[in-house]
Amino acid sequence: MNLPLVISLLSKLLVLEAGLMLPALITALIHREPSWAALLITMGIVLLAGLPLMLLVKPASKDVHAKEGLAVVSLSWVLLSLAGALPFILSGMIPDFINALFETVSGFTTTGASILSRVEHLPRGLLLWRSFTHWVGGMGVLILTLAVMPKLSGRSAMLARAESPGPTFSKVVPRMRDTARLMYAVYTVLSLLQLVLLMLAGLPFFDALIHTLGTAGTGGFSSRNQSVGAYNNPLAEGIITLFMLLFGMNFVVYFKLLRGEGRAAFHSEEVRVYWILAALSMLTVTLTTLPRYGQFATAFRYASFQVASIMSTTGYATTDYVLWPQFTHILLLLLMVVGACAGSTAGGMKVSRVVMLSKASAREIGQAAAPRKVRLLKMDKKPVNEDTLRSVLVFFLLYMGILFLGTLIASTDGHDFATSFSAVVSCLSNIGPGLNLVGPSGNFDIFSPHVKVLLTFLMLAGRLEFIPLLVMFHREMWAKGH
Amino acid sequence: MQIIIIGDGKVGHSIAETLIAEDHEVTIVDRSEAALQRSQDTLDALVVKGNGVNVDTLMEAGAPEADILIAVTMSDEINMLSCLTAKRLGARYAIARIRDPEYNKSLSFLMRELLIDYVINPERIMAQEISRMLRYPFSGSVETFARGRVELMDFRLGRGDALVGMPLKDLYQKKPHLPRVLFCCIQREDEAIIPKGDLVLQEGDHVYVAADVLTITRFFQHIGKNTSDIKSVMILGAGRVSYYLCMLLIDMRMQVTVIERDEERALAFAEMLPEASVIVGDGTDQELLLSEGLDQFDAFVTLSGLDEENIMTGLYAKSVGVRKVIVKNSRDNYMDLLGMIGLESAISIRQVTGNTILRTVRTRGAADAAAAVERIYQLMDGAVEALEFIARPEDDFIGLPLKRLRVQKDALIAVIVREGQVHIPFGEDVIRPQDRVVVIVKGNSVECLSDVLTRDEA
Repeated sequence: MNLPLVISLLSKLLVLEAGLMLPALITALIHREPSWAALLITMGIVLLAGLPLMLLVKPASKDVHAKEGLAVVSLSWVLLSLAGALPFILSGMIPDFINALFETVSGFTTTGASILSRVEHLPRGLLLWRSFTHWVGGMGVLILTLAVMPKLSGRSAMLARAESPGPTFSKVVPRMRDTARLMYAVYTVLSLLQLVLLMLAGLPFFDALIHTLGTAGTGGFSSRNQSVGAYNNPLAEGIITLFMLLFGMNFVVYFKLLRGEGRAAFHSEEVRVYWILAALSMLTVTLTTLPRYGQFATAFRYASFQVASIMSTTGYATTDYVLWPQFTHILLLLLMVVGACAGSTAGGMKVSRVVMLSKASAREIGQAAAPRKVRLLKMDKKPVNEDTLRSVLVFFLLYMGILFLGTLIASTDGHDFATSFSAVVSCLSNIGPGLNLVGPSGNFDIFSPHVKVLLTFLMLAGRLEFIPLLVMFHREMWAKGH
Repeated sequence: MQIIIIGDGKVGHSIAETLIAEDHEVTIVDRSEAALQRSQDTLDALVVKGNGVNVDTLMEAGAPEADILIAVTMSDEINMLSCLTAKRLGARYAIARIRDPEYNKSLSFLMRELLIDYVINPERIMAQEISRMLRYPFSGSVETFARGRVELMDFRLGRGDALVGMPLKDLYQKKPHLPRVLFCCIQREDEAIIPKGDLVLQEGDHVYVAADVLTITRFFQHIGKNTSDIKSVMILGAGRVSYYLCMLLIDMRMQVTVIERDEERALAFAEMLPEASVIVGDGTDQELLLSEGLDQFDAFVTLSGLDEENIMTGLYAKSVGVRKVIVKNSRDNYMDLLGMIGLESAISIRQVTGNTILRTVRTRGAADAAAAVERIYQLMDGAVEALEFIARPEDDFIGLPLKRLRVQKDALIAVIVREGQVHIPFGEDVIRPQDRVVVIVKGNSVECLSDVLTRDEA
């Protein structure tokens, strides 16, 4: 492995992170909060570590090969989270290291699971930093690096591919840098749009900002203990519902819309299945909860928000769905596993993978009936590459394997099955709340430190889609050669 | 520029690599998943899987917005059709690789009807390159202007050359018999100099001169860089490159002998080129080579399909004392190695094709910025440009002697071509409408002739 190259890229990332803390610092200073010192010290430490390395380490070769790409992706996420946890520790708001790391990783991975029982106690600067990690982590820190840093190598697409969620990664314009910039441009415009709409709906600027950052990254950190439910504002709920689903959609759709290929944009099978699945789930949950709310409109208001929140892996809540009938629990749990579209800011297995898996299963079953018939597996009318299919199958196996092993370890804390299982699903799919004790009203502080460490790892593994993180433990990665 | 490359083979991949390094936006189209995967992993390009003739594929690759489409697939037919389809979709310039001599016979018709702007015939380019290496063994590059009448050539001044230490303005006084060429520009270390009269030539200078073909040959003879000392060439292999090369060499009145193993091919070759003597036999057989008088030849060119055969016979020819040995080699990474074992003149068809395409793309890029330019050639990695214009009647310098015009700093008027005659301009000369004027400029600030030449008001 080309270690100088990895270090040089990581140092650039650290410098970038110091820059990302600037809005939080300014907020803390404006509101004269004592936490500004914690933010400033963190920025100092990060710059002190990053700048000399960035200036001094000059890698002989700038070629990012598979090993370097994977190492940079996984190490950068770990490093960013470690540094990002510092303001919480230094300000004394979350003094425990494991708790602070859990909260930060939950932020960057856009999970939104929290160990805080009283969010309102957090000063505004730290609240903004906490939510800002959602926004950056949603689209990707390395993609941001590719967009703002001077031209890296020709192989930089490898970094974006490892970080971008979904079975395949497609550039929208020839140059990686332009692609990264376009992605962030669309992301920023959509976010600003939501911010303005939320303010028009009556939310104060700061609250609107926090919830926009949480929605855009499909994260789910709120500035209120009761999440979005605290505002009891149907219009704001509607706006957030819509934007959660929009940010869960493949961003390629927006590029196609921008290029004026409106029809082609919705030809994507994944996007169609996504909307159909969302609509059907909303309807089902509405009907199931109808006896509870009495009115269809009220039931739909809560059902649609919760479904959009879970499916887009955001994790906001307007009501405690743990109180709903058991059927909805299982339905929501399934939606947690599925997640939203590839190439979005959302987590989960991704709709495209689920579609491919269903098609592959159907093909295999059909093959049993007519063994000699040639069957092509197609997505969007194009044959699916066998390598992609294999990677999807392996992803499914890893997801399931890690889910069950994780539940086993999480259950050592002695909580009920639904709590342990849903906590693991929630972290793996980067959602936030789970069921029962970790439902919208609960929080993750109930777990003992070793389970928190496990869940922290699962959030990272889920966000990076396993391979980049798991490969770091493979012997081949550290073998000599190259 | 936005460039689409159809065909992710060796040529396609290496062109893409260079163009990306030159900051173009490149999209690569191919039918092979494996080739695209490799390009996606190593190049900062967009890849599109599909047939380059398919409209959907071309649309996906962005053909309507493309500045240049380069079709370099294995198949001539796909290349031609890709160009036509892409041009119809809105691509602005199309380059096709066409190898089959059948098509090359009706090339201008095909280009016109299929909207192909530039055709690359690798075998012919290779033959031209070899013939140049035989004619001017010391020169690095040749470019032609005014439909081939003016040649621009470069050479390096060595120790003890007659021109070293000579100020340019005294050159023709001290050497009255020296054929008059124009010193266009000089590369001294890393600096590009547009020479003025007081410039003194130094050892190690890289000098670019321009003149008509005959004058330039005489010029080189005069300064002791003899060009025509190769009078007989032996060629191994009777393939397409050999065919084009023989035609060129026979035009230059060289004596050509071709050795071909396959009797049928040898016969066909002899029929097409009666002036060449064709010998049927195994070119690796040293006995045969000697009995055909290999050691009496001035040059030996190996063009067989096998690198190993080319290299070994090339080495053998060197060992029996042939002065100029040119070896065809298909592996780019062996080039340095071949130099080490004494085969400095190795040539690869892929490299030659790639270079030609790149030069066309660069010219195209520069021509985009300056629509009035007939032809652009970049020297010294683009530090200096040679531009060809046609003078228009409304230009305000028409009819005035050059000495009364102001020439832009770091620019010079290299040649004026009028009614097929090449003139090296002097102070008394005037430019008339329809004259072809070649201008040498530093940088790339010039878009039309009036940028260089203005009336001296004073």
